[in-house]
Amino acid sequence: MIAATAPGYPLHFVPAGDLLGILPILIVGGGAVMVLIWDLVRPRGQEVWLAGLTGLFLIAALGTAIGQWIANSGPIVVFNGAYANDRFALFADFVVLITALAVVVLSPGYLRRRGLAEGEYYILLLASVAGMLVLDGALNLIVIFLGIELLSIPLYVLAGFARDDQRSQEGAMKYLLLGGFASGFLLYGMALLYGETGHTSLTAIHAFLLRDATAGHIDPMVLAAVGLLAVGLAFKVSAAPFHWWTPDVYQGSPAVVTTFMSVATKVAAFAVFLRLFSATLAPYRAEWTVPIAVVAIVSMIYGNVVAVAQTSIKRLLAYSGIAQAGYIMIGVALGRPDGTQASLYYLAAYAFMNTGAFAVVTILSRRGEDCDRYSELAGLGRREPVLAGLMSLFMLSLAGFPLTVGFFGKFFLFSAAIHDGQLALAIWGILTSAVSLFYYLRVILKMYAPAADVGAVEEFEVASVSPEGTAVAAPTAVGPAVLVVALAGAGTIVLGIFPAVIYSLLQGISVVHG
Amino acid sequence: MSWPILSVTLFLPLAGAMAILAIPSSRARAIRLALMAVTALTLGLTCVVLVAYLAVPSAAASKLSGTANGQSLSTIHSPITFQFQEQVNWLQSGTSLSHLHLAFNEGNSAFNQAAPPPVNFSYHLGVDGLSVWLMALAALLFLVAAVVLSQRDTRLRTFAVLMLLSEVGVLGVLSSLDLILFYFFWEAALIPLYFLMIGWGDRNRGRAALKFIIYTVAGSLFMLLAIFGVYFITGAQTGVYTFDLPTLIAAQSFVHNTQATTFSLFGHSFSLLNPQEWLFLAFALAFAIKVPLVPFHSWLPDAYSSGTTPFLIFFAGIVSKLGAFGLIRYNLTLFPQASHTFQPLMLGLAIASILYGALAALAQTDIKRIVGFASISHLGFVVLGIFSLNVDGLNGAIIQMVNHGIVIAALFICVGVVESRFATRTLSQLGGLARPMPVLAGLFLVVTLAGLGMPLLNSFVGEFLILLGAFQSSPVWAVLASLGVILACWYMLRLYQGLTQGELRLPGPEAVSEQLQTVSRRLGRLDVGPVEVAALVPLVALMLVVGVYPAPVIRYGRFSAAQYVQAANRQTATDPALVSSRSAAGSLP
Repeated sequence: MIAATAPGYPLHFVPAGDLLGILPILIVGGGAVMVLIWDLVRPRGQEVWLAGLTGLFLIAALGTAIGQWIANSGPIVVFNGAYANDRFALFADFVVLITALAVVVLSPGYLRRRGLAEGEYYILLLASVAGMLVLDGALNLIVIFLGIELLSIPLYVLAGFARDDQRSQEGAMKYLLLGGFASGFLLYGMALLYGETGHTSLTAIHAFLLRDATAGHIDPMVLAAVGLLAVGLAFKVSAAPFHWWTPDVYQGSPAVVTTFMSVATKVAAFAVFLRLFSATLAPYRAEWTVPIAVVAIVSMIYGNVVAVAQTSIKRLLAYSGIAQAGYIMIGVALGRPDGTQASLYYLAAYAFMNTGAFAVVTILSRRGEDCDRYSELAGLGRREPVLAGLMSLFMLSLAGFPLTVGFFGKFFLFSAAIHDGQLALAIWGILTSAVSLFYYLRVILKMYAPAADVGAVEEFEVASVSPEGTAVAAPTAVGPAVLVVALAGAGTIVLGIFPAVIYSLLQGISVVHG
Repeated sequence: MSWPILSVTLFLPLAGAMAILAIPSSRARAIRLALMAVTALTLGLTCVVLVAYLAVPSAAASKLSGTANGQSLSTIHSPITFQFQEQVNWLQSGTSLSHLHLAFNEGNSAFNQAAPPPVNFSYHLGVDGLSVWLMALAALLFLVAAVVLSQRDTRLRTFAVLMLLSEVGVLGVLSSLDLILFYFFWEAALIPLYFLMIGWGDRNRGRAALKFIIYTVAGSLFMLLAIFGVYFITGAQTGVYTFDLPTLIAAQSFVHNTQATTFSLFGHSFSLLNPQEWLFLAFALAFAIKVPLVPFHSWLPDAYSSGTTPFLIFFAGIVSKLGAFGLIRYNLTLFPQASHTFQPLMLGLAIASILYGALAALAQTDIKRIVGFASISHLGFVVLGIFSLNVDGLNGAIIQMVNHGIVIAALFICVGVVESRFATRTLSQLGGLARPMPVLAGLFLVVTLAGLGMPLLNSFVGEFLILLGAFQSSPVWAVLASLGVILACWYMLRLYQGLTQGELRLPGPEAVSEQLQTVSRRLGRLDVGPVEVAALVPLVALMLVVGVYPAPVIRYGRFSAAQYVQAANRQTATDPALVSSRSAAGSLP
């Protein structure tokens, strides 16, 4: 990499254009340092200002990204082809930054209620966001690895942030061990790819593979590399059968961290997944499309079927997340422009509905413990009509009902699958969507049905906690957090009626694969 | 038609729902009045549409239909004429995918594929001779439900809002002329229905609601796949990529489907049925679940027995009609050839529904379940008429859809009155109610006779035409179906006699029921109140009017039945010569 520095520039001199290209990353990364300093000098007990400062940096980064979107007409490749600031990356940046912003707004109230208010939280969050932004535009294997680690290491800490909670500790440990394992796979894949092609740059690798494939030569070593890369990335997006960490980590982590992890990580990891497979490894498409499709189908089946049996809301959302990863994977498996577009659309939709759903869980969480048991939702329709209504909306959206953004997410994915002749993907998607109705609608039923009536569907529940006992601690919904939920809800509906808003953004998108 | 009357009709209930949300929930009377006003206004608008549609001479209709529709294809070839069309673009992708596409396409031959077709759907409304009737019926039933709704009902405001939202969904399904818009309303209507089902009704309602939704959505998701199939196949063969129904109907003449579909699942390929037949089956599955036809009916008894009366009036009255509507509107027009191929299958299912529904109704002890199974049997007749694929049968089916909506709503009101007075639905616990409730018994008698197809009442007209049509198709079907008519007398009279005739039987210990009887006689409170009479009388009047003087209904129904039969009888292009000659005539893009 270093040797590849363009002639004419001394090593220590970075051209301004390159810095401009990664401006959002610089803002977020710099923000992490600033928050760190502020945390040292701030007066005690003023955590809200930390959140404010963090939010400010995220807004600045978002503004910069929007400015770059408007300004650039074509892809901008900086740092000698190591990073692309193309619209593909910017779109993923938007989703990551907006999600992070929502999480930051949710955090102060939640952390205070759970007694976790610490400055490190925001620093780690910003560092992780920086890693995600790096991933969105990474055009070099080294940069990809850098991004993955920058994203993951703060998350390992964040997952265990509830230090007194045993499940949080367990989850963090699991995440760390399995995450390290997955990074190993990824790195091994990269090493093989480098060994075979002699390049770490995706551009050069693509050119190499294209020559290879055009000559009709399929390199088994490259296949092994592709497999290892796919395993590593499938772990990050929590696709079955590489999902084993997901339920425990989602359940154990503090709810705000789970919100962040479930959406933003997935977006960044899928950005790499899409760029790497649909673009760089496109010449080997015939080889990898079927295995990826199988992973997609297994995720859809496993996630949806197992979610039915859950009694914990966070685990339910974790399995639903596995299933959703399967849907998004359809777009990866197609490996064509319309599939990529559909996947990006779904990611944006997913950001709205999943952030919203987890935000409701965050708001309902009480002192010392997350709102997790299924029975804690009982009677929510009467206690908190607004929250219950919004939660229903997110559930319907995740289930893919029209009038919600989730419908058009599935619409574009299935339509792309059928257009590309991958009927099996579409049919499995449809069948598992039908299964998913059962558990999504059961959440709604739980919230609205009078306590006595729920008996009919309760037979699946292992822990029988009396609804009266749990319905006591009605949390007082706090202002800014409810605002986040309401905005997510508004987005879910507006984008569900006017799909053109996101679709037109995706129309002009460009992706640099090299 | 510059005034968007269909949009106004469609969104009036939505505006009404918003207005009702603004009324404090404690003011039950105001909420109920507002609900009645909104539904009455909607009924008024649908009647204006109905009258305006019928007033246009049929010859002028074809000219009218083309005016609002940008695509010329439909005006030339579509055998169905739609009026009051409104079209606004909803999502249209340009061809600017090229940017992304180029980056992907570079050099790799395995990766070279034509750019994906533009996604293109619009907000397109319109009515034809089928949907005007059903829209008027829907609006009428929602008004009746609003009348029946009691001020004392729990969470009245929420119920009213959800009810109006489902009205938007139902009217949207009936008036949309774009496959995506149709699917959008079709599924969106389920959301308020689901909330209505889980919020009001007996103890089993949660399970019943879940069952209904999962059944319906599972079916309609396959329809969504089939919608994509129609889109891509039509697009690939004719070059017209659109979800627009009139255009698609016209374009079907040009779609040739001689080859069986070859599937490749991970390298293995096998062939089975042709594309049109697959698509037909997917659409038919969604609609058969909604109707419901017999193997897909098991959600219905639960849903019907657990719902409350106002809900059942529009749920049983119009929502189940949407399935039959879909079979006519989409299956017959988009898949003419497959409609003929699968005619025996669909007729067989219809007969099975008629007989199974009738026999099951005989076996029930729960009065609401009796009505539910009777409904299955009656809707079997509707499907029988549709797939007779001739003018008489289809005309009968259209008339019978409206009739059934009126009859089933009235039946549920009667049964609901009984249930609310005595807090039981068990037939054996009740009897001799004609004495304490003479008015109910009288109205109930008319409704019962209408339900069993008595001449001079409305159902006779529809069933007669359906049997006439079925006979033309094959006498065997007609003979089997008339068994259902005989059974209908049995189960309807069993219900009526059991409830109203014989010794007076009331639930509970002897002493209590005697007391109840004396008290109620003195207060006159057992019989139907003015509200129920106000809801029942218009329905009974309609039964009599249609039954005694059916000529106008038959005449107007015949016109659109003929259109749909013409659409279903189109020969799809099977040999290349026909394709080329037709496309030359049709000036395809």
